[in-house]
Amino acid sequence: MNTTPIEIGRLLRSSLTGFVAGCRVDQPSLPVFGTLVRVPIEDQLEAFGLVYDIHMDDDGLVRQLATSHSLPPEVIADNRNNRNMPVEISIITVGRRKTGILSHLLPGHPPVSLDVLYRCTSQEVRDFTTTGRLGYFRHILRAEELPVGELLAAHLEQARAAHRESGDPAWFKNATRELITLLRDDYPTLMSVLNALSDLGPE
Amino acid sequence: MNASIRDKNKPIGYIIGGSLKESLRARLIVPPQEVREGSFVVIRTSDWQFYGLITDLQLGATDPRFADEPSGERLQSAISDLLQGQTLFTTLEVLPTLMLERGPDPGSPEYAQWREKRGAISSKTIPVKTIPSHYAEVLPANEGDVAEIFGSETSSGYFRIGNTREQGHPVCIDLVKLIQRSSGIFGATGTGKSFLTRIILSGLIKEKLASLLIFDMHNEYGLDDTATDTQESVPGLKGKFPAAVRIVGLGRGASVRGQAPDFNLEFAQSDIQPQDIELLTHELNLKDTTPATLDALVSSFGIENWYSKFKAMKPGSVIQGEDGKRMPAPDSVETWALENNVNSLAATSLHNKMTRLFHLPYIVEQPAANGLNEIIKALQNGQHIVLSFGDHENDLDYLLVTNLLTRRIREKWVEMTNAHRSHIERTAEPRQLVVVLEEAHKLLNHEMARQTTFSTIAREMRKYGVTLLVIDQRPSQIYSEVMSQLGSRICGWLGDDDDIHAVLSGLAGRDALRGMLARLQPKEEVILLGWGIPMPLVIQSRRYDNQFWGELLGKTHGKVNETQIMKELGFQS
Repeated sequence: MNTTPIEIGRLLRSSLTGFVAGCRVDQPSLPVFGTLVRVPIEDQLEAFGLVYDIHMDDDGLVRQLATSHSLPPEVIADNRNNRNMPVEISIITVGRRKTGILSHLLPGHPPVSLDVLYRCTSQEVRDFTTTGRLGYFRHILRAEELPVGELLAAHLEQARAAHRESGDPAWFKNATRELITLLRDDYPTLMSVLNALSDLGPE
Repeated sequence: MNASIRDKNKPIGYIIGGSLKESLRARLIVPPQEVREGSFVVIRTSDWQFYGLITDLQLGATDPRFADEPSGERLQSAISDLLQGQTLFTTLEVLPTLMLERGPDPGSPEYAQWREKRGAISSKTIPVKTIPSHYAEVLPANEGDVAEIFGSETSSGYFRIGNTREQGHPVCIDLVKLIQRSSGIFGATGTGKSFLTRIILSGLIKEKLASLLIFDMHNEYGLDDTATDTQESVPGLKGKFPAAVRIVGLGRGASVRGQAPDFNLEFAQSDIQPQDIELLTHELNLKDTTPATLDALVSSFGIENWYSKFKAMKPGSVIQGEDGKRMPAPDSVETWALENNVNSLAATSLHNKMTRLFHLPYIVEQPAANGLNEIIKALQNGQHIVLSFGDHENDLDYLLVTNLLTRRIREKWVEMTNAHRSHIERTAEPRQLVVVLEEAHKLLNHEMARQTTFSTIAREMRKYGVTLLVIDQRPSQIYSEVMSQLGSRICGWLGDDDDIHAVLSGLAGRDALRGMLARLQPKEEVILLGWGIPMPLVIQSRRYDNQFWGELLGKTHGKVNETQIMKELGFQS
């Protein structure tokens, strides 16, 4: 259970519809694919987003080390802990909190570099996913370049767990129904999403 | 009957489209198996209530691939169920028929204004002139809705003919409207026409709305009978209404099922008119020369004597002349033909063909009693006549007798009505008369309808208080002009497309109703149609059994077997 805000990293670049944060490899709570995160932009404004990609670029030292015949564990640990290139976490913006009110609209302006990225608590996940009628799905479904089915499956799995904690097992069913409603005229996408959800298995 | 349909307040769908000309379309929100074609539904909008019939159910999908590829094998069952619920659906086609202004919610401030505007005028159903809005709820009609449209059994003149098929709500017919114009009961053989007719006739007798003249070709209606399929005893009308129903046997000494009738009917030879013979053209295989020969006979002997004189002639009878040559005898048909410039062969042929008539025992020179007057008197007095054909149940007897009798009665009713209307004699208005005609296509087919009295009755006799109740299994054989005059039509299963087409002729929404008619259950399921019926409806017809008689007459009638008695006493489940 996740009850306290956890700082993950700081923003590298951003736009209204998404942003990328950097963090250390040895970060104790590295977010996973589909995690709901937030970035305070200013005093009364926060952007919410879903992690859709995590990637790590190489550097010259890693390339050299990778070709070495034998690598002592302390060298590997040193490289990972002290590397210059951060782990990059890509996030799609799915909503905002303005003057304390959650909505699934985009924030008026994007977060700026080095703003702190937080992982949402279970309560924040429940609050965000029960605001309105799951309107944030539209941001995900519109992003054709993303692995929509996988992202939704990962997000719904985590959100389902958060709602289960609070005794609301029906949330997942309602979310699935909403997805079907939104995608019923798009057979390929809907089946891709539902296949991914089916792979989650029953809780 | 299933649970959800019984739940009066639960909508079964909502309107998603349609038009007044074609039907309305509604999205079904309950499983399709809970709704059936022909169901009576109510569509509720804020101010108006619409009444309609389900005429079709169609399976649909937002994308055909959802229907083509079963998702149950690929997806979790819960997700598959959700997918099917959202992408696969059933569309109802609803034929709107009537509408009723309900006004705003009685608890709202607008209601008082609406009431004030309407004044004392009470809402009443009118034929549908507009359509409900999108998303208007569709509900199965409840008992109150059915009573609102079809009337209640407790109201005078309303008679329960059956129940709605799914909900089992009582459905009544307005007997006054039923007899105000000619009506028809149709259905293929074995669909329960005779039972339904007995039920309706019982209702008419009980309500004392009209006198009935029943041409009982197969001796079914008057005395107790045995059902052909169940071999159970079927009570006749005479047994249940002994004082009101009179059984008439055809011919002197005739008996009906071994019992003596109340009186017998014979016709005098002088009653037979040339048109009665022409009516039998097909039956007797008469030739085109027949009308001319009959004209000559009437000219020779007069309208009252031509039949007896012609009967007395001897075709082919010859005598030997003074010159030894054989020549036609003076009493021969040939002699009469020669003297009256009639084709001898035509006259002889007509005589030969009329031999079947000459041998009929109920056409006599001098009837023992005036049965015809007895019948007319009984009908005027509010009694009901069941004319049993006894042993004379072939087509020739039926055609001849029904036409002879009905012609005389029609003349009498016209005379009485005219006398009443002219106020010369201050006579009472003649009692409403319903002529019940079985195997109607034999008398009302395309060839004969113009010649028989029955088509005249169907077309014109309403104003003289005489109407027909036509019972037939081949409505397509009945002349279209007669069919168009039938105000109420009660129809069981029909297998022939032409028959279905004929029953629906002249009705609004017949395309939608055709399928319903074709898919009726072969027994005890009938559709009510026509002017005398507020809206078309498929019903489960009432059963003609002890319970029916108990309800109609207020006590248990007929023999009850031991099992039934034990059951009623609670000793058996």
